[in-house]
Amino acid sequence: MPYRLELTGITKRFPGVLANDNVTFAVKPGEIHALLGENGAGKSTLVKMIYGIMQPDAGEIRWDGSPVTVANPKAARKLGIGMVFQHFSLFEALTVLENIALGMDSKIPSRQLEARIRAVMTQYGLLLDPHRTVATLSVGERQRIEIVRALLLEPKLLIMDEPTSVLTPQEVEQLFEVLRKLAAEGCSILYISHKLHEIKALCDTATILRGGKLVDTCDPKQETSRSMAEKMIGAGLKDIVRGEGRSLGQPKLVVSRLSTAKTGHFDVPVDNVSFTVRAGEIFGIAGVAGNGQNALLDALSGEVRSGDKDAITLDGFPLGLLDTTGRRKRGLCAVPEERNGHAAVGDFTLSDNSVLTARDRLGMVMLGLINSGAAKTYTGRVIADFAVKALGPASTAGSLSGGNLQKYIMGREILQKPSVLVVSQPTWGVDAGAAAAIHQALVDLAAAGSAIVVISQDLDELRALCDTLAVINMGHLSPARPTGEMSVEEIGLLMGGVHGQAEARDAVPA
Amino acid sequence: MQFRLEKRREPSQAMVYATPVAAVVLTMVVGAILFSLIGYDGVGAVREIFLTPLTNSFKWQDLGVKAAPLIIIGTGLSIAYRANVWNIGAEGQYIMGGLAATWVALATYGMTGWWILPLMLVAGVLGGAAYAAIPALLKTRLNVNEILTSLMLTYASVQLIYYLVRAPWKDPMGMGFPQTRIFSEAARLPTIIPTTIVHLGVPIAIVVALVAWFVMSRSVFGYQMKVVGAAPHAARYGGFSENKTIWLALLVSGGLAGMAGMLEVAGPFQRMVPGFPTNYGFTAIIVAFLGRLNPLGVIFAGIVMAITFVGGEVAQTSIGLSNSATGVFQAMMLFFLLAGDILIRYRIRRVAPQAAGVAP
Repeated sequence: MPYRLELTGITKRFPGVLANDNVTFAVKPGEIHALLGENGAGKSTLVKMIYGIMQPDAGEIRWDGSPVTVANPKAARKLGIGMVFQHFSLFEALTVLENIALGMDSKIPSRQLEARIRAVMTQYGLLLDPHRTVATLSVGERQRIEIVRALLLEPKLLIMDEPTSVLTPQEVEQLFEVLRKLAAEGCSILYISHKLHEIKALCDTATILRGGKLVDTCDPKQETSRSMAEKMIGAGLKDIVRGEGRSLGQPKLVVSRLSTAKTGHFDVPVDNVSFTVRAGEIFGIAGVAGNGQNALLDALSGEVRSGDKDAITLDGFPLGLLDTTGRRKRGLCAVPEERNGHAAVGDFTLSDNSVLTARDRLGMVMLGLINSGAAKTYTGRVIADFAVKALGPASTAGSLSGGNLQKYIMGREILQKPSVLVVSQPTWGVDAGAAAAIHQALVDLAAAGSAIVVISQDLDELRALCDTLAVINMGHLSPARPTGEMSVEEIGLLMGGVHGQAEARDAVPA
Repeated sequence: MQFRLEKRREPSQAMVYATPVAAVVLTMVVGAILFSLIGYDGVGAVREIFLTPLTNSFKWQDLGVKAAPLIIIGTGLSIAYRANVWNIGAEGQYIMGGLAATWVALATYGMTGWWILPLMLVAGVLGGAAYAAIPALLKTRLNVNEILTSLMLTYASVQLIYYLVRAPWKDPMGMGFPQTRIFSEAARLPTIIPTTIVHLGVPIAIVVALVAWFVMSRSVFGYQMKVVGAAPHAARYGGFSENKTIWLALLVSGGLAGMAGMLEVAGPFQRMVPGFPTNYGFTAIIVAFLGRLNPLGVIFAGIVMAITFVGGEVAQTSIGLSNSATGVFQAMMLFFLLAGDILIRYRIRRVAPQAAGVAP
């Protein structure tokens, strides 16, 4: 039997970068094939060429044994290639059915389409009411729309780009069921991820890319997570080093009954959130994206102020009415999730980006004038201490890769020695090497006596890093408990919350 | 065949500074062709407009006098535009500055004293700033687009001149002409070079631009303007209030436009007349962009624009070119400049539609 998809010597060059260098691998019919690699390893480029968004500079793509040119995504769908993107393209104000109808290549009467959608949903157990508005759906449910959309075309190859980054553990399990069923029916699946335990649980074969080159094709069940990770980053992994016999100190950051107003149409405010973080403690807040994390970070950083001065206190001093500058002066620093455009200005130099948050704490301003020499020196220190790959303080933030920019931002805040640091998604989209460095820096900062709040969707990260965990769901925060006492299942249920349960019951399968 | 704009990885820094020069050169070339096609001496027109003001030393004083208000207003606009605050109504703020200064001049008529001119200057700045405060208030309170409000207020201010010079401020000895009386000596700007028309406003313009350059490149205020314009979300994170920035941007640009209005009315005009609005406020928009929103660049851009004004007048008398030709040349310059800016950040790619499917 011919391979479903065969890539031979695929090469793609961008100005200054060789994104894919002579990549060769093949996917069998009915095989779940993992494409594994760090950010910037060339996974996305490779997949874009398979799906016809880009054309390879050299090499051959064979489909069911015969060479093809995939000119555009429409041609790819015609061949039987479906793709579920990491970022969904859905209109929030439209219903599930309308969204799917909009994405179809050919016009199908809505009644007929609905019947087909219901058939696909029943067949694969994708519970969803076609008439619900997308805005009311959880991220996991939104992903189901994208999957249904792809399945309606009866694909022979389904490409899934980082599908689990936004799902609860329970939702991940449900997704895997669907994918296994599809594979059993002969559909090949190309599964892109850097989560190794998922690949071990799901995939038959794994192709590992590093720096655009193919490193290895292996059987993930024969490998350990560690051995695959080392192939992925090309070096030994470092473990987080914790000081022995750490004890937590006095309460530092106390948040009591913090609520924010609803600002946009579809955003989630935080509602009556209370927690305490002690000196030396790393406090983790888990939750599926879009459950009020952004509102919580803005309320803690001071970008959005609450009316109650005692809603947030640091060492007993009320911060509630202060703005970001006032809170920073008091020792509370924050790092928002969005790096470019929020935590840093892409068009500015790194040195100017240091002025953004460090100007008051480090005395970079005198008589209204900026001491650019001090900013430059400090930036140089951040670059050196956090191994930021940048030409120097004069490089623009936008010219750095995501991981390097994140290292710079974390370094910029950590070297200010804040007594409270609040970070959202500290390692989102960051390669394993940089992630380990950031984790270590957070642990070291806590060891020095700071209180740290980590808001993240990555459960592995939180469990490895945090002393205490709480879960945010629809703006409510669950009671905090020591990390060791909470099982993944328990956290998963809290992440799904009452919200997720109700949805499963309401959904109409057929 | 289809064309597509693709974002460049890193815009070339050299090109950022080369575009204004290229825009001027292209304007000269295309202008020559255009005016030749409609039956004028195209090359002659370009020579008269762009070169005569430079080669004829009698015209230099005109250059300075025309460039001064353009540089002052352009400097203010370059600050506001950095913050993404689009004050299009500098002309109105210029007029209100001129009117406020006129008010002081008329109120102190016949008096002498060194303090009259500084008082007029303060009144001019406050008048312009106050007029720019209206769009600021509407923008920050009701989220009304400042482009619209500042532009429309310009036309209101023009009507205010017409009213004032026809009724309350009319020159009693003016034989019915709609204009104020000539300011007394103490309310007129002194010329700084004897036997020329170069007045004190010219060095003031250079000083304003230099100070603005220093403030924009070194101070927290300049940083605030730039960061709010480049990334409003990051600005909020860094502790800069967007509303405060909108206020500052409009007050500074309005205040500088008002200052230019005072210098004009106390300098070349020496009285308020209905012809006081000479579109400096609008031309300064081109000056700000041609100067790359950098006060030092604005000095050069102001001089280039002054050349086209002076040259336009020369061409009018020497080869009978209509005065509107100046406007055509200025507009072409802005057009080529903006087009060049797009090409710095994007490249044009031809996209040939490809047949989908299986290759043979």
